Amino acid sequence: MIFKATRLAAAAALLSASALGVSAQGFTPENPECIAPANPGGGWDFTCRQVGKSLQDLGLLDKTVQVVNLAGGGGGVAYAEVVNKRNDDNNLIVAASAATATRLAQGAYPGNTMDQVRWLASIGADYGVIAVAKDSEIADLPALLDMIKSDPTSISVAGGSAVGGWDHLKVLIAANAHGIDDVRSVKYIAFDGGGEAVTQLLAGSVQAFTGDISEAKGFVDSGDIRVIAVLAPERLDGEFAAFPTAREQGVDVIGANWRGFYAPGGMSDEAYDAWVAKIADLYASPEWKEIMAANGLAPLDLQGDAFQTFVAESVAQIQAISREIGIIK
Amino acid sequence: MDTLASLADGFAIALTWQNILLALLGCFLGTIMGALPGLGPSNGVAILIPLAFTLGLGATPSLILLTSVYYGAMYGGRISSILLNIPGDEPAMMTCLDGHPMARKGMAGQALSLSGIASFVGAFFATWGLIFLAPQLVKIALLFGPAEYFALFALAFMTLGGVSSTNQAKSAFAAALGLGLAMVGVDTQTGVPRFTFGEVHLYDGLDFLVAIVGLFALSEVFIFLEKRHGEADASAPVKIGRLTPPMKMLKDTAPTMARSTVLGFLAGVLPGAGASLGSFISYSLEKRLVDKDGKTFGKGDPRGVAAPEAGNNAAAGGALVPMLALGVPGSGTTAVLLAVLLALNITPGPLLFTQNPDVVWGLIAALFIANFMLLAMNIPMVGLFTRVLMVPPRILMPVVAMVSFVGIYGISGSSFDLVVMIGFGVMGWVLRKLDVPLVPIILGTLLGNSMENNLRRAITIDNGDWWTLIDSPLSIGLWLFATIGFILPLIVGRKVKSKMHERRDEEGSISD
Amino acid sequence: MSDRIFGVVGLLLAIGFALAAFAIEESFLSDAVGPKAFPLIIATVLGLSSIVIALKPDPEPEWPALPRLAEVLAAVVVMILYAELLPEIGFVIATAFAATYLTWRLGSGLIASVVTGIGTSLGIYVIFHMVLGLSLARGPLGF
Repeated sequence: MIFKATRLAAAAALLSASALGVSAQGFTPENPECIAPANPGGGWDFTCRQVGKSLQDLGLLDKTVQVVNLAGGGGGVAYAEVVNKRNDDNNLIVAASAATATRLAQGAYPGNTMDQVRWLASIGADYGVIAVAKDSEIADLPALLDMIKSDPTSISVAGGSAVGGWDHLKVLIAANAHGIDDVRSVKYIAFDGGGEAVTQLLAGSVQAFTGDISEAKGFVDSGDIRVIAVLAPERLDGEFAAFPTAREQGVDVIGANWRGFYAPGGMSDEAYDAWVAKIADLYASPEWKEIMAANGLAPLDLQGDAFQTFVAESVAQIQAISREIGIIK
Repeated sequence: MDTLASLADGFAIALTWQNILLALLGCFLGTIMGALPGLGPSNGVAILIPLAFTLGLGATPSLILLTSVYYGAMYGGRISSILLNIPGDEPAMMTCLDGHPMARKGMAGQALSLSGIASFVGAFFATWGLIFLAPQLVKIALLFGPAEYFALFALAFMTLGGVSSTNQAKSAFAAALGLGLAMVGVDTQTGVPRFTFGEVHLYDGLDFLVAIVGLFALSEVFIFLEKRHGEADASAPVKIGRLTPPMKMLKDTAPTMARSTVLGFLAGVLPGAGASLGSFISYSLEKRLVDKDGKTFGKGDPRGVAAPEAGNNAAAGGALVPMLALGVPGSGTTAVLLAVLLALNITPGPLLFTQNPDVVWGLIAALFIANFMLLAMNIPMVGLFTRVLMVPPRILMPVVAMVSFVGIYGISGSSFDLVVMIGFGVMGWVLRKLDVPLVPIILGTLLGNSMENNLRRAITIDNGDWWTLIDSPLSIGLWLFATIGFILPLIVGRKVKSKMHERRDEEGSISD
Repeated sequence: MSDRIFGVVGLLLAIGFALAAFAIEESFLSDAVGPKAFPLIIATVLGLSSIVIALKPDPEPEWPALPRLAEVLAAVVVMILYAELLPEIGFVIATAFAATYLTWRLGSGLIASVVTGIGTSLGIYVIFHMVLGLSLARGPLGF
């Protein structure tokens, strides 16, 4: 998904005001549960665990949020599980991200659409990165894309999402922006999560890594990998300021992986409002701002109906892009 | 001697009364969960995470509790393998092959003690390996690209031949069946559903725990039902025998333990290989090495008990290397432990050892503590465990069946899984009748997806060129090894069989 | 004879598996190997080994007489009923019934079976639910 930064900021400013209101609620989740639709260690897992822990730490929930990892099908397994089996579970929230929207947009969750669940709220956005091993000859993003342009078979790009997923799409969009017409020739290797993909970058099996900042952070800190582009509108703050943006290298791409939650479609309004309010309170807390800063999450503050609209729009956008690059009909 | 100083600091952190009690609790619960069919180490750890958080434990105490459960479950799995011929969890599968025959020979006590000691040896030295070799071992893990992983899995399957059946075609059938079952579900590479027949429950595939419990535990129940009249109870009063292994047995199995520890540890270090592969490779290579004629393994050879137990516990220690140093879990259980670390706001990765030394060294010290505790707890309890054999099967078997159901239902909460498990039970019963080994089926379901994904990754990286599979010295080596392991028994096996016939004629029929 | 039938059944299974593999819908964007190749390799191995089994059968296994077979079938039916009824009538009751049945069929007296069944059910409930904290099926009576 690509969106203009100004629009994002405007939307965030507009909607954060509306979200602060409602907080009175009769519903308290009895056994709060968060499904992370991937194996531990990835972004969805991080979303569930970090939010679950923070909700408890801040006293917004008095029970521990049980995190269940339900991997498979790029989140499709979890989506089907929620729609088919747990449609009226008021205790359940599910981690989602731009990847979820991508798969939904491409019809990659067979028989499932985005209206089958209730979209709760976002908790921030994670900008995409493209990285290479520390001793790689590839100096910057244009160099990488030029190599792909002249010989697509020479570069394998590893990512944690399935083929056609969000990590894959980011590279394709960048390639498209750099004037590579047949983006399908770009070689993408799907691994089970960002951690495994980075490991194979270190092992030298692949030449480049596409993922999110949170997945790459540990290895950047240790100097094992080098970020050649962050897909943000402008350089990030703090320790991430050293990463060059794709845009300043002449490749006009912004790829933000928003992180958030959806809830079962049959969740009661009472429970839905309670969850939305809890996540809104969490987002507004200084503790959460710290966590966002430490993990390279950029602001994206959307709750309830606003978030629902936002997801609907991004699904439409991704559909348009996917069609434009020719990966769906 | 920095390392030893850090280790001493670790012990200073770990050795508080609270932590020791937590380790004791973890070891105890872990052993029970390991022994119960259906609850393995990964579920055991997952079940206790809420407990750790509810108690409000800090990072180090939580890790001490959970790693104790982890090691405890690795110990516990062997108990039901030996006593009931039902593996308590997947790495304990290989222990059935010789452990249960030992128990039937009236050596249950010895088998349990010996496997306890082998487990200790494996885990103890693996922990030292973790301390001194972790940074170097990470480099080994980095030698393995997709092509090498594929070769490693192929090695596991190709050396399978003589492990559990005399009929190679039936072993191959079983392995292919297992691999085929692993294909069920959404393809992780492209997201298309395969062999699901539109059934949503099948989208995330068949859980190998469901397969293992069905194939082993329920089929055992069916066999008892089939033979009810007279036979079942007649075979019941098994002699327990002495409870500790004689010195000679320990001496004889010492080289086995040493070899298996090294092998298991290395298998554990490779993320994506894991403890099951560790115990499996340890057993099959040990068999190749010391029992070339296939005379004693599978019939209650103590070495066949020591090898997989040392192997799988060493692998458990080895699996912590990639988890801590790369943030990549090497097994299902380390995946859960990784999740715990993340929830505690500790990011494993290359910098963990420098950024959170207290956590790492506290954890390592906890491993040692858990290990000694388990040894101290397990050896005296052997007598207690063996009492299980005194329970007549007409009472024991229903309990086993119900525990199996609960183990699966308690984790997944799905009736569908239970029905699938019953299906596996019937299948296991028929296949047992036909002398088709069950171990390769489990191995296939366990490794099938990783095997396929690595094949596809390797070939995609090399632009559709299948020769990439034998492109590096490491993969050529693995393939050579696999080929030798596959062909040798075919040639030697024939000779041995004819020899065995001769001997039978001489000695008369004293076969089992 | 059993192995010959087994081999033929295995071969049919392999063919069925291969057909199902061919029917897999390819995704719009695939890797170099695709989702079909590996299942087809497996189908080949499955088929070849089935042929070998059919051609070189092992000695005949001992099959149970009809009444014993019925016994096994009845147990399967009870287990399936158990699985399906578990969420409806709750864990303790369902388990007590199933365990009683199995104990009885394995040759215990009726009263002894009932005692064993209830004991098993309660024992498991205490260990798994109260000690380990697993959520077991909650029936209308709350357990």
